[in-house]
Amino acid sequence: MAQPYEGPLTTEYIGEPLDLFDDQKAWVVRWPRALEHHHTYGLLTPFFKGLTEGKLLATKCTNPECTENSTWLPPRADCPDCYARTEWVEVPAEGKIYAYTMLGYTGIGIEMKAPYWQIDVEIEGVDTIFKGYLLHGKPYTGMPVKAQFRTENPSHTILDICWVPVED
Amino acid sequence: MITFGEGNLRIPQWSRRVFMVAGGCSPFRKYFPEYKLEELVMMGYKMMLEENDLKMSPKEIKDSIQYAAYGEFADHFQDQLLCEAKIHDYLGLDPLWNTGIKTGGATGGATVLNAAMAVASGYADCVLACGWERMDEVDTRTGNFYISTAACKDFETRMGRIYSSYYAPMANRFSESYNLSEVTRAKIAVKNRGYAVSNPNAQQPGRHTVEEVLASPMSAYPLRFLECCAMTAGSASALICNEEMAYKLSDHPCELFIAGGTHTLRVADRRHMEIPLLPNETPGMYDELLKESGRWPGFESFLAARFASYLAYRMAGVKDPLEELDFVELHDAFTISDIQTYGDIGLRPYGQEADYVESGDCYFTNPNTGEPGKCPANLSGGLLGTMHAVGATGIWQAVESLWQIQGKWDYFHGDQKWWDRAGKEKPADYENLQLPDAKQGLWISHAGVGSHVTCGILRKAW
Repeated sequence: MAQPYEGPLTTEYIGEPLDLFDDQKAWVVRWPRALEHHHTYGLLTPFFKGLTEGKLLATKCTNPECTENSTWLPPRADCPDCYARTEWVEVPAEGKIYAYTMLGYTGIGIEMKAPYWQIDVEIEGVDTIFKGYLLHGKPYTGMPVKAQFRTENPSHTILDICWVPVED
Repeated sequence: MITFGEGNLRIPQWSRRVFMVAGGCSPFRKYFPEYKLEELVMMGYKMMLEENDLKMSPKEIKDSIQYAAYGEFADHFQDQLLCEAKIHDYLGLDPLWNTGIKTGGATGGATVLNAAMAVASGYADCVLACGWERMDEVDTRTGNFYISTAACKDFETRMGRIYSSYYAPMANRFSESYNLSEVTRAKIAVKNRGYAVSNPNAQQPGRHTVEEVLASPMSAYPLRFLECCAMTAGSASALICNEEMAYKLSDHPCELFIAGGTHTLRVADRRHMEIPLLPNETPGMYDELLKESGRWPGFESFLAARFASYLAYRMAGVKDPLEELDFVELHDAFTISDIQTYGDIGLRPYGQEADYVESGDCYFTNPNTGEPGKCPANLSGGLLGTMHAVGATGIWQAVESLWQIQGKWDYFHGDQKWWDRAGKEKPADYENLQLPDAKQGLWISHAGVGSHVTCGILRKAW
């Protein structure tokens, strides 16, 4: 015969009481959150590692059967046209501004001090347009820019690359 | 480049006809602490059951529903996984099957599309399409961050953490490519916020001037605050039926056609491609334009909106949108996305989008002539003036379109009971924006930076 389960006989509240806003028609409570995610860069790890080494890596589909053989930046490990695994290629760390904006107001957690210029860069040989930010200068459409990399104290994020005017 | 296979271009065809008969919504506000989410949803659902001249009692209609499609943009905002189950239970619809739909800003349109698919397939004869969002549990900057996680978290979110910054580069690019002035953009904000003055449920109504819009603070250059929609709490509901049920319920049902298109979440990943042509366009007509802009859709246009309307027009047999549509409800989350869409859905050829505004065609009353506008846009007040409770938005646009065709615009916007429900004074300058003889209207539901778009068409069916 099984032994009866001996559980606790009392339950202790160990939570933190929530702050109450009771100045409205309905009760509203302050409900704080603190979260941590462990996010993987997966097969794109070489790209993010490359930034910390001063390299701009894209992926290219080299499958002879593929109709497109596109070069991707942001990179992707699998070709969406033929589903072959793509190859890593180093692409020129320079390009031209395709579009731009200045951020005057940002959401919480932003890591650049507003205002700053966000730019989209066309790079020769790359089929896509790569988003980044301008370290200094004032952008215009067609402006030649070159990449700078945060090789010292890298952020281990996409912010490890930024752009400066070529005239520098 | 995206190349289509022959099979990819099949035009959707319902296995049986689909109709919309009723709709409802809650008032829309930035901050709505008086009600829990399920209570806000019940408000719009009951309005749908009780206020649409249906020929059955609310209880009889409830007893006729077989399926529910639920739209909610972000679990982050609700802070509740499986919110659909809570809502479904609250509406007393267990154990009927339901599905939660999530396609960003196009969630509402996608919810109507899902409901229509259930009817067309024969899974159900009477379907609830219902959506909501409650964006008021967090402060505005946290909300901006949540929304920006609908950009690519690895390559884009850190660049802005606010969604206007993903549209703003498109605005600059479009303005340069197609010679769009900021004044034309501002006119959209003036128009839609102005129409919202006559909507009792509107969150941001206002009689603004172009100068005020252009003098409002900069969000992301060149988009000003008054050119951007706000965060909203609220709900919307619509009833989608097969033919037999539609006429059993209503003397004034509308036939429904709806299709969707998609494109890359990151604008970066848009490769150049051939433009899929609408029924009123001809091969070669964009050769010159492409020589100048270099790529399509580039940052100027939305493949998803083009593809959705490419399918929907053929599905509904629409040959010339500007001539055959009596009005449109567009996804004016930003002035620029509204303008970009005019070309995608063929209200103007690509490159001439601004003319839809400058000609006066998009107004209730054409400011150039004083005559009725040819194809008015967003008489509801749109997202800029009335609401963007994201999961509800594309459903609410359909509901506003239904009421316009049913001739009920003045009842649902002008009756004192709706102003009382919203806790507002009916303004002295209320305008009845009922079109005299609207037979067919279109609404666009749009997500991401054009990641998902639905194009719905409602047609008078009595």
